[in-house]
Amino acid sequence: MSNRKNAGEDKDDESSGTGRPAWWLMFWRELTDLWFWGRALYLIILYSVLLGIMAFVLAANSELDLIPPKEMVFLTLQVAMAVGLFIGLIIGADSISGERERATLEGLLLAPASRRQIVAGKYLAAISPWPVALLVAVPFLFVLSQGDPVFWQALFWGGLLGSILAPAFTAFGMLVSVWSNSNKTSLFVSLTVYILFLLPTQFPGTAQAGTMGQLLKKVNPLEATNQFLEKILVNNRTLEEMRSWLIAPVLFAVLVLGLLFWYAAPRLRLDATAGRTFRLNWGRAAVLLLVVGLLVTSPALAQSSNPAFQIDIDEDYRLLLTGDELEFNTLVTYTGTEEGAPPLIVAMNIINLEGDGDPVDPEDWSPERTQYIDSLAKGESADLTWVVNPILEGDYMVYMVVIPEPDGSDATSQPVASSGIHLTVEQSTGINPGGVLPIAIGIPLLLVLVVAVLFWLRRRRFGADDA
Amino acid sequence: MIQGGHSEMPGSVPPVLLAEGLRKSYGSREALRGLSFSLRAGRILGFLGPNGAGKTTAIRILTTILEPSAGSFLIDGISSDYPERIRRQIGVLPESLGFPRQISGIEYLNFFGQLYGRTATEARETGRALLEGVGLQQRGNSLIKTYSRGMRQRLGIARALVNDPVVVFLDEPTLGLDPRGQQELLAMVQRIARERDVGVILCSHLLAEVEGVCDDVVILSAGQVVAQGTVADVIGQTQRRAARRNVIRVQVPVPAMAESRQLLEALQPVSAVIPAGESTGWLRVELADSPDGNVAEGMPKVKNKILEALIRADIPIQGFEVGGGRLQEVFLQLTEEGNE
Repeated sequence: MSNRKNAGEDKDDESSGTGRPAWWLMFWRELTDLWFWGRALYLIILYSVLLGIMAFVLAANSELDLIPPKEMVFLTLQVAMAVGLFIGLIIGADSISGERERATLEGLLLAPASRRQIVAGKYLAAISPWPVALLVAVPFLFVLSQGDPVFWQALFWGGLLGSILAPAFTAFGMLVSVWSNSNKTSLFVSLTVYILFLLPTQFPGTAQAGTMGQLLKKVNPLEATNQFLEKILVNNRTLEEMRSWLIAPVLFAVLVLGLLFWYAAPRLRLDATAGRTFRLNWGRAAVLLLVVGLLVTSPALAQSSNPAFQIDIDEDYRLLLTGDELEFNTLVTYTGTEEGAPPLIVAMNIINLEGDGDPVDPEDWSPERTQYIDSLAKGESADLTWVVNPILEGDYMVYMVVIPEPDGSDATSQPVASSGIHLTVEQSTGINPGGVLPIAIGIPLLLVLVVAVLFWLRRRRFGADDA
Repeated sequence: MIQGGHSEMPGSVPPVLLAEGLRKSYGSREALRGLSFSLRAGRILGFLGPNGAGKTTAIRILTTILEPSAGSFLIDGISSDYPERIRRQIGVLPESLGFPRQISGIEYLNFFGQLYGRTATEARETGRALLEGVGLQQRGNSLIKTYSRGMRQRLGIARALVNDPVVVFLDEPTLGLDPRGQQELLAMVQRIARERDVGVILCSHLLAEVEGVCDDVVILSAGQVVAQGTVADVIGQTQRRAARRNVIRVQVPVPAMAESRQLLEALQPVSAVIPAGESTGWLRVELADSPDGNVAEGMPKVKNKILEALIRADIPIQGFEVGGGRLQEVFLQLTEEGNE
C-alpha cells in the first residue's frame, strides 16, 4: 500500500472530468447556499444596520463639531472591516465541521474530487461576503467623508487591507473547522482567537504604550491594520513611515492560507480524529492563549507625578444646547515670592454633577484639554483660551488645575484648582445629521428588498416547500 | 497481496471487487482482521455482522474514505492505490447520509453528476432518469427537506448510481423505514443489480430480507470473517456443523415453552434445552455425545423421542429442524461463536 496517496487523493486527478472542475462546482453550490438561501445575506443585513446606526451617531457627533470627517471615515472603515472579517470567520468555521455535523461531508468525500478542490471551492464561497461588506460600506464612507479626499484613500487602503485580512480570517475559521468534529468547538475556538486579536484595543492607553504595548500592536494583524489605517487616514502619515505595520497582516495571511491549502486540506478526513490530540487541546490552547495574552499585557497595564498661583475664569454659569460652543478664558497669575515659577501645565476637568459626580472625558468635549506655560516671572500672568462643546445633556462643573512641573524625577508638586463654571446642557435635536439618514435607512431596506425578491423567487421555484 | 493494477481469475469472469487481507487498527484496537472476499457483477452480497463487527469500517475502506492498515483491494481492476479512480467506479449510500436541505432532488443529482464529469445537460438528463428509476419523478423539483425518510433513501440510491458504477455499496439502506418501505427498497436493489449488472454490497440487520435478496453473504464478527459463500452454502454449512454438534431445534407455542423444556431435559441423551428467543417459541436442544461418538447414526431415534414426548404431552409442534436453521439462526450462532 506504499503507493497510496495522501488522504485518498490521486496526484493525477485534479479535475472532475469533461465538465466543470470540482472546485468550481463546490464554489457555485456553496455560493448559492450562502446567498440565495440567505445565510450570508442575513448577516450582511445585520451588518448594514450596524453601519447605519454607527454612521448616524458619528454624523450626529460631527454636527456637534467633535469628530472630523477623516476620523469618521476611519472609524466606519474599522467597523466595516471588523464585521466583514467576523462574517468570513464564522462562515469559514462552519464550512467543514458543519458538513460533518449534518452528515453531508461523506457524500462529498466520496466524489472523485481532491480534498484540496473541495476546500478551495468552499473557501472561495466563504470569502464572498467581504467584497459585499465593502460595497455596502462605500455609501456610508462617502457621506461621512463630506467631500474630503480621505474617501478615496479609505477605499483604497481599506479595500487592500481588508482583502488581505478577510481571506486570512476566513481561512483561519476553515482551518479550525477542518480539525473540529463539531461546530460548537470550531466556533468557540475561532471566536476566542478573534476576541484575543480584538482585546488589545480595549486596553487602557497606558497598556498600549511602551515597548511591550507597541510590540503587541505590531504582531497583532488586526491591531496593526487599525494602526496603519488610523495613521495614514487620520494623521496624514506616509506609507514609508508606516510600512512596518503591514508585516503582521501579510505574514498572518500567508501563514494561515499556506497551512490551510498545503497542510490541512489534503488531510481532510470524514472524522477529525487524525488530529485528535491536537484537536482536544484546541479549547485549552485557546484559553491558555487568552490567559498568556492577558499576562503579557499586564505589565503594560501596571505601568503609569508648589503653590503660589491664582486662576481666574471669565465665566461662572452658562445654559447651553448640545452642540453649542462655549469659549472662555483663564488667567493664571504667579503670586509666589521666588523669582520665577517653574513650567506649568494647565488641565481642564469636567465633572457631571448629577448622580455621583462622574468625571467626563474632556477628549469628547474639547479639542484642547491641556495647555502649557513655559514659565512665569514673579507677578506675571498668562491668558489662556478654552473651547468646550457639550455633547450630553445634564449639569456639569468645568474647572481648571494648574500643575507646576516637578523639579526632578523623584520630586512632586502641588496642583492648584480654579473656581468652576457651572454648565447646564439641554438636548438639541436633529433628525438627519450630515445627511446620513437616507443611507443609514436606505441600505438595510434595499438589502431587505433583495431578500424579499429572493424569497419570492424561491416561492415561485419551489412553491410551498420553501416554508 | 494483490499485485499491480489488475487481477485476473483464471478460467472465470474476473470479479468486480476483490479484497485481500484488509486490516484496520485504531491504536491497539483491531477493527478489521484480515478481510478477504470477492464480488461478481450482477450479484448482491450481504455484509452481515453484529454492531462493532467491522462492517462500516470495511465499507469505508472499500469506498476509500479510510485507509487500511494492511491489505489491498481491486475494484473493476483498479488498485486501491488509486482512490480517486476507484471513486469513479463506485456508488455509495453511506449509513445515515445527510442531505442538504435547501436544494431539490434534481439539483442534488445534477451537482453530483457534474462532479463525476458530466456536462450540466447530461447531468440533468441522468438525474431525471434516475429519479424515475427510484420512483421520485413527481418530487424531483421539491426541496429535499420535504422528503420522507424513505424518499431520502431512494434519492441516496439514485445518487449512488449517478456515475454508472460497477460496484454499489449500500450501508443499512432500510434503516428507519416501515416494513413496506423496506420491502420496496430491497426489491429496487435487486432490480438495480440485475438490470445494470452491477455488484451490490448490502449491509443490513434485516436478515430475513437479506436472505431473500442476496446471492452471497459474508458474516463478520469481531473484525474477522466467520462465514462466507452463497446464502444457501452458508446456511447449509452451519446446519451441518450444528448436526455435528448434535443440535436440534424445535418450535412450540410460547406458553408451552417451560413445560416442553422440562419434558425434553428429562430425555436421554439431551444435555441442555435453551430457549432461542422467548417470543418465538424456539428451543435449542443440545444432545450429549454417545459413548461410541457416532451421533449421526442415532439422530433419527433421538428425533422420534423428542417428537413423541411432545405429542404425548399434547404440545403442538410448530417447527422442527436439525441444525442451525435459517440465516438469522446462522448469524446468531456464528457471531456468538465469534465472540466466544
